[in-house]
Amino acid sequence: MIIRTANLNLYYHKFQALTNVNMAIKRNLITGIIGPSGCGKSTLLRVFNRMNELIDGVRITGSVLIDDEDIYSPMHDLILLRKRVGMVFQRPNAFPLSIFDNIAYGPRVWNISDKKTLREIVERSLRAVDLFDDLSSRLNDSALALSAEKQQRLCIARLLAVEPEILLMDEPCSALDPIATGKIEELMIGLKKKYTIIIVTHNMQQAARIADDVGFMLLGELVEFDTAKRIFTNPRDKRTFDYISGRFG
Amino acid sequence: MDRHFDEELQNVKRKIVDMAAMVEESITKSLDALKNKDLKMADEIQELDHKTDRLEITIEDMCIELIARHQPVGRDLRFLIGTIKMNNDLERMGDHSVNIADCIKYVIEAPAIGQVMNIWAMAKIVKEMVRESVQSFIDNDAARAQKVCERDSIVDGLRNETIRTLLTHMLEEPEKIESAIQYMLVAKNLERIADLSTNICEDVIYIAQARVIKHHAENEKS
Repeated sequence: MIIRTANLNLYYHKFQALTNVNMAIKRNLITGIIGPSGCGKSTLLRVFNRMNELIDGVRITGSVLIDDEDIYSPMHDLILLRKRVGMVFQRPNAFPLSIFDNIAYGPRVWNISDKKTLREIVERSLRAVDLFDDLSSRLNDSALALSAEKQQRLCIARLLAVEPEILLMDEPCSALDPIATGKIEELMIGLKKKYTIIIVTHNMQQAARIADDVGFMLLGELVEFDTAKRIFTNPRDKRTFDYISGRFG
Repeated sequence: MDRHFDEELQNVKRKIVDMAAMVEESITKSLDALKNKDLKMADEIQELDHKTDRLEITIEDMCIELIARHQPVGRDLRFLIGTIKMNNDLERMGDHSVNIADCIKYVIEAPAIGQVMNIWAMAKIVKEMVRESVQSFIDNDAARAQKVCERDSIVDGLRNETIRTLLTHMLEEPEKIESAIQYMLVAKNLERIADLSTNICEDVIYIAQARVIKHHAENEKS
């Protein structure tokens, strides 16, 4: 087990966005969070690297443990947490820098300045997302000139450069066409050997295809959390069945 | 692009080929045991049947999961639906070989019966049909599958001849009725195995070419 939440509640001022969420996310698996818009799935994802704290009026009760450490403890190092738990967003957000500098950005923040080391990190990270062979001769080109799919791969490589353990992915394919989506999905399946991945997706079929475990959320509640096989062949809760079978949502 | 889903389909294919190998082994052993009146081998056949039963459940489970999670279309869908049916047919073939093995103890105890050559001719063709049907599935070879279907009528003819011969024995030598009934059951089980091989070949043609040939469906359409 890598992440465990217990009686997790989250409020935006008076609005309760998450209600009593209890879940255990296993290491080296892909965990998919599904549910209709506004059900709290992105909010839940942002709990795991404390991104919600950037929003005014957020209050959290309950606990979130990563490797048995309470990440909401005042003693917990937030910078280290964000290094350990990286995030990929809906739209690829490559920096307006070269491909090389995008990847080297994180390591430089962590005071790695040796050129040889940086080159090694850039190569290793680009290889992990199957971009190195394609881009090795134009590492100094602007990252913004890449296709959306390659930019998204680059963003994943940028995370890997700081050696995280957990990758949070918030609708990582929603800006991509089906072929690019397929490629990113295959990449995720390959990456889970080394990383724990949590993906929020509107695309239920995507969760069905790639996730090992799936959580279904509704109105801030984690209605059901189980293996993808169980959720998509024999869900326990009628609300889950109604959602996955397209009866609502 | 190599898809993770393609690997999973290959895993299903590997499992069904394992299942087919077990069933082929079971059929061969049951016929050898009958020929040699070897009761010990009947236990081995029973054990193989337990294994195929368990594998049938595993394969069905894999197919259901892939359908639920990947919403396959086109050839992938036909492959999974065809595999579910083939899986069921193979399991039934295993049951028929157990039925054949079950006849051994009665054949040993009853007076020997001569002139059942047609049974062994049937057995030879049926074993070939099973092997060819599985091979046509492995190679996705509709033409090869079609040829197997065409042999089913030969087996039906041999079964009828066998039954006529055995009926003659029963009339002429009533003390051999018990043996004759057992050989009739063997013939019936062999004929069912041939039918199931034909079913598998119909599924292979469906998977490869999306053609439904069972129950003369194509003739009725045209």
